[in-house]
Amino acid sequence: MPTDDIKPTRAGLLIVRRRFALAERVHRLLSMKLDGMMLELVRLTDQAARERQELEKKYAGAREMVAVAAMMEGATGVLLAALSVEANPTYTTGHRNIFGVRLPDLEPVMVRKTLDQRGYGILGTSSVIDDAADAYEELLEAIIATAELEGGVKHLLDDIEKTRRRVNALEFKIIPELTEARRFIENQRDEMERQEWTRLRRIKKIKAKRTGGL
Amino acid sequence: MPAPGVTSPSCIYACTRFRVRRTTLLPREEYLRIMQMDIPGVIGYLSRREDYRQMVLDLAHDFSGAQLIEEAVNRNLAQSFQHAIAIVQGNLQTLTREYLNRWDIANVMAILRGTAHDIPRRQIRDLLIPAGELEGTTLEHLLDLAACNRIVEELQGWRLYPVLAEHHRDLGEARAFAQVENELYRQYYADLLGLAATGYSGLQELIAYLRFEIDITNMRNLLRLHCAEEACDIATIDRTMIPGGRIPVALFRRLYGIETEGEFVSVFLETDIAPVLAQAVRELRQDPEFASVDAAELIWQRWHRRRRPVHEVEMAVTRVRLHQLEGLSRRHPFSVLPVLAYLERKKYEVANLRAIARGKAYGLSPERIWQYIVL
Repeated sequence: MPTDDIKPTRAGLLIVRRRFALAERVHRLLSMKLDGMMLELVRLTDQAARERQELEKKYAGAREMVAVAAMMEGATGVLLAALSVEANPTYTTGHRNIFGVRLPDLEPVMVRKTLDQRGYGILGTSSVIDDAADAYEELLEAIIATAELEGGVKHLLDDIEKTRRRVNALEFKIIPELTEARRFIENQRDEMERQEWTRLRRIKKIKAKRTGGL
Repeated sequence: MPAPGVTSPSCIYACTRFRVRRTTLLPREEYLRIMQMDIPGVIGYLSRREDYRQMVLDLAHDFSGAQLIEEAVNRNLAQSFQHAIAIVQGNLQTLTREYLNRWDIANVMAILRGTAHDIPRRQIRDLLIPAGELEGTTLEHLLDLAACNRIVEELQGWRLYPVLAEHHRDLGEARAFAQVENELYRQYYADLLGLAATGYSGLQELIAYLRFEIDITNMRNLLRLHCAEEACDIATIDRTMIPGGRIPVALFRRLYGIETEGEFVSVFLETDIAPVLAQAVRELRQDPEFASVDAAELIWQRWHRRRRPVHEVEMAVTRVRLHQLEGLSRRHPFSVLPVLAYLERKKYEVANLRAIARGKAYGLSPERIWQYIVL
């Protein structure tokens, strides 16, 4: 029921008071959630920034290793080793709950492989291929970790925005409106009480006059 | 047929031709010049050289930059090796074919893997270097076949067919080609060592050289296995080590289990690898004091930290190995050794040009690229 439709009665006042108490409680909880999410965001952002730096380092390292591999084995040799991969790396998706926000939880699958799992023959390749494979496996892990953290930051930011809008709506719209409505109803009820009291006194006076006349 | 102990004229002719060919390979000064060029400069340089011109012109429509250089030098390598097979005759040809068989292994495995994983035919074709016994037309024919079983059947005339067929049959649909590949290489070395009984001139020296190469390959692969995150079992070591080297496989098995420095160093010093490694590091670091014990400790440092060999040291060992082969070929001028010395030198000329092109394409410094050049 909108605030405007509430009648200035005792029942109306009770409704408004109940709503006001609820709005204040929700506002306090959402403010606490917002603070918590902000703290989590700061923590996640720091972690994501560190992870991103690590990713950039690993990318540069992987590029260098593949350059060395291409120098020693040729692009042909590197491609042949790449063709040997029999199980493609992937990841599983899950969620973890932070203040009611579902943050992505990614788990690498078949990213780190043993020499046997990589598929190329050890006698037909050199250690530089192992190094390049290691570097790219580390890079893939870093990409998945960064994606998880940056996805988490994005989700958290979206939710912070949503929560902030709710807190602001409560703080600047709903609670002031309810306060206004409560004041209005109380004023109205005071006015009605005064009118009633005046009316009763007048009736009393009329009754007294009539009794005196008889 | 010439009498035993008498060198045949065809052998003298072939060895002389290979010695002359050896002089046409790029000298150190040319590499220093190429190092100063950018990639278009290298392409221009190669297109002015008689041996590379045609390949560069033929491939310029389809490739560019470092890829063009790599494809051109690979094609040149294939042509040079095919030409080498055509020049030599009789026993020398048998041996040369046997030696170049490793290129066939690489080509056959590329075709099998490409077919199993549905890689476009054109992409596989670009990966093939027909420098072995299987010619370009045979490889093209294999590429047209749709299933791995058909490819294996078509290879019935190939010298490694029995090994391929046996292991491919055992695998079924498992697609574990690594095992097949390892077995093919093991058989390749076994066949080469088996030539010892034929009594060709210079073969004993070649076998000694091959056994040394096997030792180095085994040691390198043992380090690779040890660096893996999961410890491998003895069966994996047996499957991966090439038998026939001077160092018995049992010693590598023993070495794999050692975790104390003293024991590792003493066992490593028992092998013939230590002095060669010491020589390689001496040349690499310009340090005349570097001894075999230092080399053993260097390996131990990598070993106990589970780190792979340093690439620069690997390249330095390759240089020492090649110098040894050349020294042998000079001591036995009319034998299989000058042929193989040329084939190895040619292989590294191509590898050097490829390393320069790829290094420049990735923006590596000339000093860094120079570490990977084998002279």
